Formats: sequence, C-alpha cells, structure tokens
Amino acid sequence: MSTGLILAKIARIKDVMEGCEMKHGKKLVLPLVIIFLLLSLIGGVSPADASSPIATVNKASGVATIVRQGQTIPVAIGLQIWEKDTIRTGRDGSIGVVFSDDTFLSLGPESVLVIDEFVFAPKQGKFSIVIRMLKGTAAYLSGIISKLAPESAHFKTPTASVGIRGTKFVAKVEGD
Amino acid sequence: MKLWSTFLAVWIFLCLLTACGAHRPKRDLIVLLPDPDGKVGVVTVITNGGSQTLDKPGVATEVQDLSKPPMAPKPIGENEITNVFGPALIAQPDPAGRFISFLLYFEHDSAKLTNESKKMFPEILMTIKDRKSNEVYVVGHTDLVGTETYNIGLSSTRANHVRDFLVSSGIKPGILVVSFYGKTRPLVPTENEVPEPRNRRVEVIVR
Repeated sequence: MSTGLILAKIARIKDVMEGCEMKHGKKLVLPLVIIFLLLSLIGGVSPADASSPIATVNKASGVATIVRQGQTIPVAIGLQIWEKDTIRTGRDGSIGVVFSDDTFLSLGPESVLVIDEFVFAPKQGKFSIVIRMLKGTAAYLSGIISKLAPESAHFKTPTASVGIRGTKFVAKVEGD
Repeated sequence: MKLWSTFLAVWIFLCLLTACGAHRPKRDLIVLLPDPDGKVGVVTVITNGGSQTLDKPGVATEVQDLSKPPMAPKPIGENEITNVFGPALIAQPDPAGRFISFLLYFEHDSAKLTNESKKMFPEILMTIKDRKSNEVYVVGHTDLVGTETYNIGLSSTRANHVRDFLVSSGIKPGILVVSFYGKTRPLVPTENEVPEPRNRRVEVIVR
C-alpha cells in the first residue's frame, strides 16, 4: 500500500468520525484506527514492485518456500511469484513455476534461486529475464522472451552466466 | 519428429579461489536438453575467463577456474542426468498449456511463401481457434544475404504478409503482435552473405 492510499483512508475515516453522534468514543477510536492501519502496512508482505505477479506455482512437493522482503511464505499450487522473490526448497522439496511468458522453471531439493528481473511487455518491446541460482538443481525451459529477445534472457550461477536461445537446460550449483 | 536420445551437457566447475586444499572444489553443472517437441537450442556459458557455446546434443562443458573459460564439451549419460536432475525434471510444469510455434518459409529475397509453408495455414488457423487464443506473435526474419537495412524491410514485409493472411482468414487483428528482426537472428548461423532457406522465415507463436 502506498502512503498516499493510507492517508486517503485516514481522511475518510475522520470524515466518518466527524459525522458520528458518539462524542466519547471518538477521541479513542481514531488514534486506534490509525495505529491499526500503520501496523497493517508494516506487517504486510506486499512486493517491492507492486505492478503484478510474474509467475505462478504449477507443481510443488515437500518443503518449498518463497522469501519475499524478509518474509517466508510456504508454497502452494497457484501461489503467485513476484520479481525479487527467492525460491527455496528443503531436503525433499521441489517446485515448478510458469512465468507469464511461458518460461518453465523448476527446482529439485536443497536449492536456492533468486528472480532478479522479469519484464514481459511485448507491445512496449520490453523484455528481460534474469535468474540467479545460488545452489541446488534447476530445470529451465525458455519461453517467449527467448523467442522475441533472446539477448535479454540470462541465467546466472556463482561462476558463470548462461545466455539462452530457445532451449531447455538443467543446472546444478554446489553452493554453501 | 526425431527425438534426440542423447542429451547435451555442460559441466561447469567452480574452484573457489578461497577454498582450502582439503575441500573438493565446488562445481557448477549445466546440461542442455531437447525441447518437449524435440528441438535443441543453443546455450552460451560465460565465465570471467571466456565462453563456451553448446549447440549439439550429448556434450558437457566444465569450469574448473572462474578465471578460465569453461572446458571443452564432454558427453553425459542419461543415467547421470536422471540421478542428478530427476526431481527438478519431474517438477517441470505440464507443457500442455504452453505456446505452440510454427515456422513458415519464404523464397529467396521475397515475401512469397514456399508451397510447403502455404499448406501449414489450416493447422495454424485451427490451433488459434481451438485454443481461443488472444495472443499470437508473428515474427519475421531473413538470411544473411543483403544489408541490415534491406533485410529489416524484407522481414517486416514477410511478417505483415503472414499477418494479413491470418486476418483475411478470420483471425481478429487485435490478437496479433507483429515484430521483425531482419538478418540479426538467424536460426542457422552462417557467414555473412550466405543464403540459407531455413533462415528465411516467419515464426508464428500461438499462446
């Protein structure tokens, strides 16, 4: 939620309060409402880029989580993924996600991977997919970004950058 | 469609510069596989020291040192692929809903489709209708004969010719997104000025 939206919400509640018959309760309720709104802002897990989700979980098994702005979210089929998310799997975990350009990405157990960038806006000619793998095993099947702008698709490991041109590959990274 | 039975593999080994002698050097491994429809793409692996391009099945490259290029390709067996990557591969999403792409080819220096390619239109139209698709990409290309500028124009003419045909066959214009890349994206790499029929193409991608 943006600050502007919260201020607008506070203003509206104030208006409501002013129209309210009860005078005693008014002095206590408004500060409590403001505190509540501020707490819900702080406690929220809204993504850093509030535009739109970029991928959806299609398969999941065992322990798999998304880490978003310091918050850990357990994975379920249908869960939406946002830019900057970290995907992690446990000892018996695995996960498969579909991006909005039909790129398929899956992880095996004990894996960690970060989605640094994802932009798919064909009508504006904007394309980018940058994935950074820190450890584990992954399988990647390229989507429409690789068809329309192959130079903008990058898969990074700690040692190397993999340029992708319309392809399917698997990667294993021995991290810490 | 032929399915490659061997897989292309890239081994990337990382020898951490700070690693103690007693520890096995960490390694990165990348394996190139055929697409669900059997085609094999291209992967370029780049380290600080250089790069290795993989475009054939059944080979692997290994990085032993960050400052050196990835090693020359070596074969990897299917058993090893299954052992190492089995869980990741099983977790791959179901390809059923994925886009389908068609390649249409053209006569030299022309926006005239080859006869074989003309026969593909019924299938393309049926695919768009069956899927109730509202997102179809029409992407034009040329081979490396001619200048960059000339080929930008030619690839645009080709893509728009295909687009016009689809529209006149009843496809809503709003679902078609046309783009063109001249000679900059050959499917089959060639030297400059080398004619190559497989590069004279329009790709139709149906979501």
